[in-house]
Amino acid sequence: MKAPSVIKPSSNSVQDADICIVGSGAGAGPIAYELSKAGYSVIILEKGGWYTEKDFFKDEQLSRHDVFQSQFKDERHVLNEPNDDGGWSNDTTAQFWGGNIVGGASNFMSGYFHRLKPVDFRLVSIFGKIKGANTVDWPISYSELEPYYTKVERIVGVSGKVVKHPHLEPRSTKDYPFVPTAEHPIAGWFDKACHTLGFHPLPMARGILSKPYNNRRSCEYSGYCGSYGCSSGAKASSRAALLDQAIATGKCKIIPYAKAFHINSDQKGNATSVDYFDTNNPEHTLANAEKNALSIQAKIIVVACYSIESARLLLSSPGVKHPNGIGNNHQQVGKNLHCCSGGTGHGVFEYDQFSKQQADDLKIRGPFFNRALQDWYVIDDKKAFSKPVKGGTLDFVFDPPSPTSDANSLKREDGKLLWGSTLKQRIKSSFTQSKDFKFEVFCDWLTNDDCHVSLDSKEKDKWGSPIAKVKAGFHPHDMKVAQYLVDRGKEVMTAMGAQTVWGNAFSAPTSNLIAGGLRFGNDPKTSALDADCRVHGTDNLFVSDGSFMPNGGSVTPTFTIYANSFRVADKIKEQLS
Amino acid sequence: MQQSSHPKPIRSGSQTHIAAFNSSLSRRDFLKQSATATLLAGLLIYKHSFAKELSTSVSTKDFTSHQKATLESVQLQLFPDDGDGPSASNIHAYRYLQWALTDPENMADGDKGFIIEGIQWLDNLSKQQHSSNFITLNPKQKHQLLEVFSHTSKHENWMSLLVYYLLEALLLDPVYGGNPNGIGWKWLEHQPGFPRPDNKHTYRHFLYDQDSGKSV
Repeated sequence: MKAPSVIKPSSNSVQDADICIVGSGAGAGPIAYELSKAGYSVIILEKGGWYTEKDFFKDEQLSRHDVFQSQFKDERHVLNEPNDDGGWSNDTTAQFWGGNIVGGASNFMSGYFHRLKPVDFRLVSIFGKIKGANTVDWPISYSELEPYYTKVERIVGVSGKVVKHPHLEPRSTKDYPFVPTAEHPIAGWFDKACHTLGFHPLPMARGILSKPYNNRRSCEYSGYCGSYGCSSGAKASSRAALLDQAIATGKCKIIPYAKAFHINSDQKGNATSVDYFDTNNPEHTLANAEKNALSIQAKIIVVACYSIESARLLLSSPGVKHPNGIGNNHQQVGKNLHCCSGGTGHGVFEYDQFSKQQADDLKIRGPFFNRALQDWYVIDDKKAFSKPVKGGTLDFVFDPPSPTSDANSLKREDGKLLWGSTLKQRIKSSFTQSKDFKFEVFCDWLTNDDCHVSLDSKEKDKWGSPIAKVKAGFHPHDMKVAQYLVDRGKEVMTAMGAQTVWGNAFSAPTSNLIAGGLRFGNDPKTSALDADCRVHGTDNLFVSDGSFMPNGGSVTPTFTIYANSFRVADKIKEQLS
Repeated sequence: MQQSSHPKPIRSGSQTHIAAFNSSLSRRDFLKQSATATLLAGLLIYKHSFAKELSTSVSTKDFTSHQKATLESVQLQLFPDDGDGPSASNIHAYRYLQWALTDPENMADGDKGFIIEGIQWLDNLSKQQHSSNFITLNPKQKHQLLEVFSHTSKHENWMSLLVYYLLEALLLDPVYGGNPNGIGWKWLEHQPGFPRPDNKHTYRHFLYDQDSGKSV
């Protein structure tokens, strides 16, 4: 599908800046923060609205109605997933929108901040190739990113406690700058169970403040965290932690409700401007773009609007030197997308099986579980795998509260609708007689030829641009690794005393943990970006969200996206000076 | 507790959400998740045909007094005053339902037309078995009739939709008209988060207020 060619907005709708950033999430914040502090003018185009702490209420309806995301009717994705019969499904979905709001999806993260480890940068060198996977070593090493992790810990604010364990990554500082957030009593149960089993329980670092910092309040422990916006400013969203300070320099401007749809490039192939629409203006559509489109001209253009959409924007931006979309002369744009492979498990603790004191402890809501296991970050177990393989992380967490959804999930038993006193008793029992603790498993999703982004040939968004099509093929190796880790999580839950324990590995894409699609590398034939995250074939177009990652590491990627974006900011500063 | 009773990774066509990031359960996923696939497909197709014909003509009108009486009566069967926890009337289920049906998405789904149609189905069955409308039956007859009624999947879907809105009235923030003074939360020992929404900051303000999210 060919995207529209060059758009020429009328000159009075053009603004100038040194740097224009598309998107305002974790990949955008560090660029805006660093460059505006260095005195450069920055304009951010954000498709969603501009909300702050005072807007973030703990209201289940906000997520039930996707208030801070693109609406399905306006803009969606086509999703192809493997069928059981060997074919591919074909659906449309709105599930890949992480957060269309100033600060992006980082507003709604749980903020589990694990660093990657040196091994993640050298998967092929260490473990060898896996047939059917497109794994590559990174063009940079852990030691090049390490100073930026340290910077994120200090500037963005990371709380935690470093504990020695067999897979601890090298650090240039002794500990996190902020002490851990308050812990739920269950963390003590967990530590005890792990010691019995010979595992190494880790306090989990969080992108959440345990004390006030930079006009942000400390965590207030409302118990409504992941998936809810933060009303205290403790959660390290890109807006709370970075953009507010960038704005305060007077050099950074955010334009909300600005939907970028095209990047223009010149005869040399370099990016010149970004065209966008005001999403509140119904006249703004591709059909009359020449009359209505707005534009930002900039020396440096940075794309950071979440993996799928960043690839879509590049594919939608052909130019003289880029007939297949900017940076796509080697058909690498959109390729090697990855999700987070893994699984989830649960342990249900029934109050009547414990003492009154223990039951009261289990019922506490507010403080965090904050525990993780990385004993199997590399699995060396001959009984399961013939040679060492890359493993992953187990995070022990609370599900974000969603009582209405929880209650509704109880209304059917074996497919049959329950109602009347039967329904009431089932809901009451589930809510008041037991507590459900959860663990989540994070592994690498091996990149492969069947996991990528392209432009859909039929469907367009409400403005007239082709929507992104996501093909989400997975490698069977991932399921084996995930299951191995899920089984370890179940052992822990059982040792903690849970009455009911279960868990599953899954192959469905984790729609909120997508990365890759524009991986970085030294060879333009196998990567979309160079080692500085500059789009191949351009001098001045950068991508600073999670798209750059050749593999996701076996953790949630936000911490790494922040760190890399600070690294890219330094590269841009070097280029401009 | 059965495994099947818990929210699982959402497979709504079918990606997985995990708590690590935004694991929002959107209302639509929710409808999909809470019914078996077959039943659901039927419901959606049925509701969509309604959406086209009825969403504008029916959904803006109030329920008739007969419709209101029938719905309140059905709601009390679905969520009875049984001595343990609040009943449908205690949680203002009917008032909440009326308000929820003015939501643009619920209107687009044709929920109100579907609910009105279901009242007719229920009365038809009642007339067959008792020669009179549902509201004239005694409580025991009502319960038994709904039991029979639920054996047809289309009818069960109708009851399921009413349960869906009932549980919203039970557990959403009182700002939405149900769960008065947190009566549902107290019964289920649920501790709400804070700050709680006020009547100038409901989800509809965020979605439909022109001035929402313009700047700081």
